[in-house]
Amino acid sequence: MQAKEFKIRWGMVIDVDKCTGCGACMVACQVENNIAPATPEMDAWAGVTHDASNKLRTLTWMLVYEINNKKAFPEYEAAYMPRPCMQCSSPACVPVCPVVATDKNEEGGIVSQVYPRCIGCRYCMAACPYHARYFNWFDPTWPTGMDKGLSPSTSVRPRGVVEKCNFCHTRFQQAKDKARQNGGDPNNLPDGAYVTACAEVCPTGAIVFGDLNNPEHKVHELAHSKHAFRLLEKLGLGPQVYYYSKREWVHRLGDNYLPNEKKA
Amino acid sequence: MGLDRRAFIKFVVGGAAGTLFTPIPWKLADDASIWSQNWSWIPRLKYGALTADATYSKLCPAGCAVKVKKVAGIAYGVEGNSANELSKGGVCPLCATGSQMLRSPSRVAGPMKKDGDKFKPISWDEAEALLADKLKGLKGQDGKVAAISGDLSGTANEVLSGFLAGLGSKSYYYMPTDQTAMAKAWNGVMGGSGQIGYDLEEADLILCIGADIMDAFGPVVRNQKAFAAKRPMEGDKTLTLVYAGPVRNRTAAVADKWVAVRPDGAAAFAMGLVNLLVRSGKSASLGGFSDFADLAAKFGPEAVAKLSGVNPEALKDVAKALLVAKNPVIVVGSESGQGAGVALSAAGVTLNAMLGSLNVLPEFPKAVASAPDRAGLLAKDLVGWLAAVDAGKAPAPEVLFVYEANPAYSLPQAGNMAKTLRKAGMLVSFSTFMDETAAMADLVLPAPHPFERLDDAQSPYGLGKATYALATAVVAPEKDCKGTPDFILGLSGKLGVDLGFGAFEDVLKAKVEAIGADWDALAGGAVHVSDKKGSTQASLDAGAMSKALAGIKGEGLVLIAQAHLNIGTGKLATPPLNLPTIRETELYGKDVFVQMCAATAKSLGLSEGAKVKLAAGGADISARVNLSEGVMPGVVAAPLGLGRTAWDPYTKGKGDNVCKILAVSAEPGTGLSVWAGSAVSVAKM
Repeated sequence: MQAKEFKIRWGMVIDVDKCTGCGACMVACQVENNIAPATPEMDAWAGVTHDASNKLRTLTWMLVYEINNKKAFPEYEAAYMPRPCMQCSSPACVPVCPVVATDKNEEGGIVSQVYPRCIGCRYCMAACPYHARYFNWFDPTWPTGMDKGLSPSTSVRPRGVVEKCNFCHTRFQQAKDKARQNGGDPNNLPDGAYVTACAEVCPTGAIVFGDLNNPEHKVHELAHSKHAFRLLEKLGLGPQVYYYSKREWVHRLGDNYLPNEKKA
Repeated sequence: MGLDRRAFIKFVVGGAAGTLFTPIPWKLADDASIWSQNWSWIPRLKYGALTADATYSKLCPAGCAVKVKKVAGIAYGVEGNSANELSKGGVCPLCATGSQMLRSPSRVAGPMKKDGDKFKPISWDEAEALLADKLKGLKGQDGKVAAISGDLSGTANEVLSGFLAGLGSKSYYYMPTDQTAMAKAWNGVMGGSGQIGYDLEEADLILCIGADIMDAFGPVVRNQKAFAAKRPMEGDKTLTLVYAGPVRNRTAAVADKWVAVRPDGAAAFAMGLVNLLVRSGKSASLGGFSDFADLAAKFGPEAVAKLSGVNPEALKDVAKALLVAKNPVIVVGSESGQGAGVALSAAGVTLNAMLGSLNVLPEFPKAVASAPDRAGLLAKDLVGWLAAVDAGKAPAPEVLFVYEANPAYSLPQAGNMAKTLRKAGMLVSFSTFMDETAAMADLVLPAPHPFERLDDAQSPYGLGKATYALATAVVAPEKDCKGTPDFILGLSGKLGVDLGFGAFEDVLKAKVEAIGADWDALAGGAVHVSDKKGSTQASLDAGAMSKALAGIKGEGLVLIAQAHLNIGTGKLATPPLNLPTIRETELYGKDVFVQMCAATAKSLGLSEGAKVKLAAGGADISARVNLSEGVMPGVVAAPLGLGRTAWDPYTKGKGDNVCKILAVSAEPGTGLSVWAGSAVSVAKM
């Protein structure tokens, strides 16, 4: 798919050298997006005991990977890599969707996921090289009473559809509404007016969010840093999520370089 | 003209094709997909006014300054309070799910009394009458009433400990943390006053010896903020972080340098640094320093290498870095935030004193005059007392109060400790959740969730300045619960114990006034920070330290327990939304994983995924092996927080409780119970 050009490109720069892997972003993401906790009861109908201590069917729109340099003690090094949806410029998931449930057509470059339209064929999951898409195997069930306190930001999805991170899209809409109410320009939001839940909660500020095209936004400069890179960049999907690290091995791991391959 | 077969087919096909140019099939397909997902059992969202109220969440040990987000008055989320200096807008993974925990399936619905194997609901008045009747006969008898608190920063402790003092009992204990060892060292052995602080915000080099500041030590979010502020992506870093410990943990993952140190050799490593600094001409204005320096001379680089596994050159490099830095700060503790000894703490204090970084925070004035001093209570050895009760050397209490703590699960040798707790005549748990201690209690008197209560935090251990924060009730109670200090104040009135206050709000107002802070500003989410410094006068006891250090062997297989905030704490089991954050290399299904490097596994005849039994302290747990080169040879690392026997289906029965095999010993020379880096045996199952 040819890359679509947008005046605004919402994106992230994630500082791998600052991420402590605490998981607060994962928790905040679940709260914001009404991702129900997996319970043993949930899949009793299938005769399977399964919960979040088995990751096969969990929903983690934001997932923090632990990576390492594959060396033995004492040269061993580790790092943490939070992985939201990359909101690719040329997303692999969009052209394979038979019902146009996922598209990249809105100013801002966020890849949409229209749940009521999704037929659950999972072609998009097969196409996504980042494993950022999840199939909802179960109806969302909260512990008794916990469903009283759902976030008003994201509708609850039934089983049978594919889900993914949408950069907390409701926050984008709210930020634009606020700009309109205050006489501002919704297409020129100031840095920090729209921030995703994961970036907001991060205790080390490792996740920086903003408009990659706007020089007044911090991410614009950071994404152009020599220390910035994108995951599997060689595939040419043009992710709008950048990673930042001063460690060479993290860069190499980010693009699956062969052991002796020279880095581009 | 008749309708022949050909015309009919043309009409049908043409009609079908024609409908494709209308919205009908697309609308039908759209409706079919919408309505096939629109079932009655799919929860609907509530809409309404969006608000956010500031409070201080004490779900994690040190607390996070948060704003509780509400829709139409119903709490649904949390955001950081960036106006609060304590956590500066960051939120830990436990407080991030604070709103969901308001409706946790593990919440205690109301006051309950044990009736056989089950609980029977009772009223608050009945509970008060029952306790008043029981306590009336115990007044004036030391040791007959005792209390254990897991809240190390709240003024609620003044109410509880003052109440116990009024009943004539001195048996008030805090749950053990790194602060216990430091208080025992600084306020006990060294005779200092105030609380040791760490000015990380001003540091240009932070050396953590054991202390996992990004996950387990002190105010974790503040530590993370202090670190991040000096590591901007767009400029040069102005802080160097060095981690010295046995595992490349979350602090080591972002550190500039990881120095692998055996957990049982951490004090020797610190003494090695003291020695090198002395040899470089550094000194400290602490009493007894000369004798201490002589003791440190025994910890030359080669001796340290033998005891801690640290290469002599690596030790010298760390010492050089400390000497070059302008504002180095040394943070000492254990990897799990508990179980360290006085020797390590005293060495840490000495290092900071030698480098001009010794920072002492003054204690805030008390609100409850009859309450014992906080510093003295913090230094008390709960594990030692329970061991004495177990051995019959100390009398078992007739009534044991447990406030904001879960000792039956989270103390070392947890099985033994739970058995000892059962010796109490009446175990009373003031727990928000049905934890392991509440499950075995005779009386459960639920405390409100942190968002539902009035509470405070005074200088959580690890901060660099004396700090005071207030927590206000920002949501109505979901359950029939009552603030524990208010309940105790009511009870004290019935027993004729005068604490000087009738309600906890008055206690806090008196506290705020004594501090000189502004109640309204604090209630609005601000924090009071004092620039006053405490006295750095103290004396080192080289004799006691010599005995403590002589106990270091630096050999054999040792266990380190790792505390991960996302998994939970001793008093808070993994919240449902936190389970996905636990990695498959830590928990898979019902199996907990212990980490060891390939060399250790080889020496034990183990391979990746092998099922093993770990034994120590007369107990054992089962686990699987995960090979990780981030663990130094001779060390086995295991995560805390799993193996719950109470709580809810999200948490219960997953993995095993590592606390069961944390073997306790008395530190020679000081007698403090220690268990950081205790010996363990690992056998293939």
